[in-house]
Amino acid sequence: MAGIEISEITKIFPGEVTALSELDLSIEDGEFFALLGPSGCGKTTLLRTIAGLEPATSGSLDIGDRDVTSLPPGDRNVAMVFQDYALYPHMTVRDNIAYPLKVQKVGREARYGEAEKAGSSLSLDGLMDRRPGQLSGGQQQRVAVARAVACRPDVFLFDEPLSNLDAQLRLEARGFLKQLQKDLGTTTVYVTHDQGEALALADRMAVMDHGVIRQVGTPTELFHRPANVFVAGFIGSTPMNLIPGVLGDGNVRFDGGVLPLNGRGDTGGEVFYGIRPEYITIGDVGDISGTVAITENLGAQFLVTVDVAGQLIRAVVAEGSEPATGDTATVNPDPDRVLVYDRESGELTPGAGYH
Amino acid sequence: MRDFVVRVAFIGFSAFVGAFFALPMLWLVFAPFDSTPTLAAQIPEFTLENFSDLLSNASALRSLGNSLILVAGVVGVVLLVGAPASYVLSRIKFPGRDVFLYMLLLMSSVITGAAAMVPLFLLTFELGLNDRFPGVILVLAGGMLPASIFILKDFTDTTPRSYEESARVFGATTLQTLRDVVVPVIRPGLAVISVWTAVNVWSNFLIPFILLRSPSKSPAAVLMYSFYTEGGQPNLRLIAAFSLLYTVPILLLYGYVNRKYGFRFHGGLKS
Ligand SMILES: Nc1ncnc2c1ncn2[C@@H]1O[C@H](COP(=O)(O)OP(=O)(O)O)[C@@H](O)[C@H]1O
Ligand SMILES: [Mg+2]
Repeated sequence: MAGIEISEITKIFPGEVTALSELDLSIEDGEFFALLGPSGCGKTTLLRTIAGLEPATSGSLDIGDRDVTSLPPGDRNVAMVFQDYALYPHMTVRDNIAYPLKVQKVGREARYGEAEKAGSSLSLDGLMDRRPGQLSGGQQQRVAVARAVACRPDVFLFDEPLSNLDAQLRLEARGFLKQLQKDLGTTTVYVTHDQGEALALADRMAVMDHGVIRQVGTPTELFHRPANVFVAGFIGSTPMNLIPGVLGDGNVRFDGGVLPLNGRGDTGGEVFYGIRPEYITIGDVGDISGTVAITENLGAQFLVTVDVAGQLIRAVVAEGSEPATGDTATVNPDPDRVLVYDRESGELTPGAGYH
Repeated sequence: MRDFVVRVAFIGFSAFVGAFFALPMLWLVFAPFDSTPTLAAQIPEFTLENFSDLLSNASALRSLGNSLILVAGVVGVVLLVGAPASYVLSRIKFPGRDVFLYMLLLMSSVITGAAAMVPLFLLTFELGLNDRFPGVILVLAGGMLPASIFILKDFTDTTPRSYEESARVFGATTLQTLRDVVVPVIRPGLAVISVWTAVNVWSNFLIPFILLRSPSKSPAAVLMYSFYTEGGQPNLRLIAAFSLLYTVPILLLYGYVNRKYGFRFHGGLKS
């Protein structure tokens, strides 16, 4: 078992592409850690650097109490599940799962025994003699995980392992991955661009953007107190409202009126008034009113977009209570849930907001 | 009505074309067992005498053996050199790689073509390889390699890098990765070029004819050229029997490779 300590890792690809830029991160022993970020932000590169498949341009990397910066992948005792699973098409499921053990010169009997056990823990009994080509996407994914489990690594590395599955299977696979990781207690780094997946799975997570980490914390912390507008816009199934305005005395003024704020006295700063759609109610009474531009059915809820003096404000309301498009409605943010971001730096300002 | 006429004409034409190409095959099946074969395909006066004559001709069997040596040698060289070369060309991108590959392909038709015969003859002579199998094997392999590398590179290109990378993460050495992952995955490609090379070498006349001077070293394709009666007429009895014998190894090879490796393609895994 081992934690991961990443210090000042930089990765520059040929052609001056900086994929990772002096990145620091520490991942605790036994933790399920999610790396979240938009496509091209360097998640895969970071994962491959941990695996040793990409040599870092500079910086150092420890796994457990070993400095593995210059060790080849095979000596790091990590197991990686690739986005395309990388199952060998000419081997049976059993041979695929046993292959890492074969490389480690484990005897035939012993490695088939281990393969059988790992396969069985991922409900692959009865499929062991098939070839990967004869399996469904979900089954292939489980074989890839079983192969990682069978070699008992210090660290699991997952690169978007669910992105090739359909929505139904993805939910199911998410559940068993979480359960499996809990049972094994193996440190896990999980890369995804799906914020829902990261929130659901992770003990702690990091949001990446352009090769740097924008925030690290528990899913709850990141959801409730995004440290900057980038994270605020990335996390949550409906992005946070970020309304540009000017700090007044205990409120934020914008063209459409005065937005309420609790516990802030400073005035004059240019800010974003951040409020999640889930914490806004729509009604008939209130200071801020506009016309309903769009209503979208989310199932048990509706996403309502209100145009207030040219500023679009989104709110999530219970089904049945949504207004009709074109109606006049008032927008009432919950002042206890408001976050204020500096407009220039995009950083969260201390003081107001949810703690 | 018009449609019908067109159809009949088309089918008639196809049948004619089919028969045209089938006739030599019929000859190949009938003539060897005919005591008086002619150049026409005809129902034979059945006899096995042609074969017993052939088998008593020492040079016939020896020439088949010579052909086998050449085939084994060239296939061996093409696989041993072509597979690593195509792997490197597939995995390492260097400036001018594609131009290099096309130049190689272009040059290959020149190398074994008639135009290069004199320089090739002189070259093998200088190297002390004339009238020796290694000389012929190297020249033939040189001709087969560029296209083989080109084909194999294509097979290697379609093998995801993640296969090799996952093996590396498990701790496999480069050799283990090549043996356990890359070679099995490109095996259909190896089978394709092996058969293709074997057939080409087996039927190549010009190069062994020029580079091997001793009659005892002639491969089958060259030997066939020497079956004449005392009267200077082509000895059709021997030629017919030998032709049949000559095709058998290629058919066996095809059947064997198809069963063992299969001209199948595993394809990707994405569902
Ligand atoms: N082998 C490579 N050579 C050059 N640039 C690369 C290479 N791999 C990735 N990159 C670049 O590095 C950046 C990060 O890529 P990646 O880590 O794959 O992002 P993500 O997995 O978050 O989508 C991208 O801009 C990508 O184009
Ligand atoms: Mg990626």
